[in-house]
Amino acid sequence: MYKLIGILCILAGCVGWGSARVGQEKDRVRNLRALFHILGQMRSEISYGKHTLPEICLLLAELNDKCYKACFVRVYERTREENGGDFPEVWEEEMRACLAGLPLREDERETVAGLPKTLSFQEEGGQSGRIGQAEEFLEGRYRQAEETYENRAKMIRSISILTGLLLAILLL
Amino acid sequence: MRPEEVLCLFPEGVRDRWREVAKHAERLQEIRLRAGMPLAVWMENREHFVDAQGRIVDRPEKAARVTPEELEELLKYLCRYSVYAFADEIRQGFLTLQGGHRVGLAGQVILDGDGRIKNMKYIRYLNIRIAHQVRGAADPVIPYIFEKGHVLNTLLISPPGGGKTTMLRDIIRQVSEGTVYGGGVNVSVVDERSEIAGSYLGVSQNDLGIRTDVLDGCPKVEGMMLLIRSMAPQVLAVDELGSIGDVQALQLASGCGCRLLATVHGCSLEEIRHKNYMRYVIEEELFERYVTIDRKTGTCRVTGVYDREGKPCIS
Repeated sequence: MYKLIGILCILAGCVGWGSARVGQEKDRVRNLRALFHILGQMRSEISYGKHTLPEICLLLAELNDKCYKACFVRVYERTREENGGDFPEVWEEEMRACLAGLPLREDERETVAGLPKTLSFQEEGGQSGRIGQAEEFLEGRYRQAEETYENRAKMIRSISILTGLLLAILLL
Repeated sequence: MRPEEVLCLFPEGVRDRWREVAKHAERLQEIRLRAGMPLAVWMENREHFVDAQGRIVDRPEKAARVTPEELEELLKYLCRYSVYAFADEIRQGFLTLQGGHRVGLAGQVILDGDGRIKNMKYIRYLNIRIAHQVRGAADPVIPYIFEKGHVLNTLLISPPGGGKTTMLRDIIRQVSEGTVYGGGVNVSVVDERSEIAGSYLGVSQNDLGIRTDVLDGCPKVEGMMLLIRSMAPQVLAVDELGSIGDVQALQLASGCGCRLLATVHGCSLEEIRHKNYMRYVIEEELFERYVTIDRKTGTCRVTGVYDREGKPCIS
């Protein structure tokens, strides 16, 4: 009886670990999609809305939820005339803090957090073009992550169940 | 103007240097930054300089020199890191900031195929002009621009920097709010260079009265017709008439029943009569009042008010 309970506990633990890993993968896909949509919104606001970057942050705060909203509001507040913050520095600091806990790769975080430093502040075409490049990069990563997500999820679930069974057999 | 408003003109990293200057916010007129040249400020029509510690000094040798990098940083900050959003203004050589302050720009001009200004690069000269709305500036002329409760078509004449925009702004405010000489009426303003309202993000930074609509950044000719069609103004105000097109648009507006308030560069009514594009409207008596203004003593002063025939109402 105890052995059976032990086997079930081991199996449940392994399946739980597998589900957590699958959840992380799903979260990564969701965040990549959110980020490339954010860059798309920024690009269109620059090209068509002619809003300034701090104003765009305020618009992005209205259009996005979760941690992004709070992050964009902070960027806007810190770069207002009253506070006079340097936009590239403030953006990088806030974005790094915002993206730190998310299941993203370092180069993906860097692409978003370091974006304003690479923008040419002189010209609309240059700015929207550079954002477009970052958007393409993240979209590529998103498509890749989405395509592999199903297979990876199946693989992780199978591995977790097999690991559970193997552990149970070894411990019997 | 409060000292904090002066500090808001500069990025956080350099605000300490401007704290001393900001203490004189009420007297501050201009901040002039030229690449490689001493940092200068104008207060009460006198030039002063600012040293590296932010202290105000009188000799240019003691002043801090402005670097091109500092100018670039400041320009990025003033444009909110989005120069593209101010491209139209930069093309005209100025930026309007929150509070109605204006930044004059000079550098290397880029022309398009037709020889028109397309953009500006290597901006190495900035002139930050601090806005001070002078309430009551129009008090001496208000009794003369109303007749039987109605506003008369009025042309303000002064040399550049003579105070005609300050005067026009206060006339608009008083006409819009209403005075003892006439009730408040709907006023529409075509603010081609954002000098009258000093609009920032579409909101007038100067008080132009409760019945005033502002069309910001629009050429006068198109703007006047647009406002007549859309806002049904009783009074239409424009700054700096400078072409035959502007004058023809004014005539059209007058034909639509609008009363007119306008300004033009000049030292006297006689000088205006000799401008090709003004001669006709003066002969046609489009304007019923001419007000000449100067700033010889440092403050805006009305030097004469004339009727439609050019006869002085006051001297």
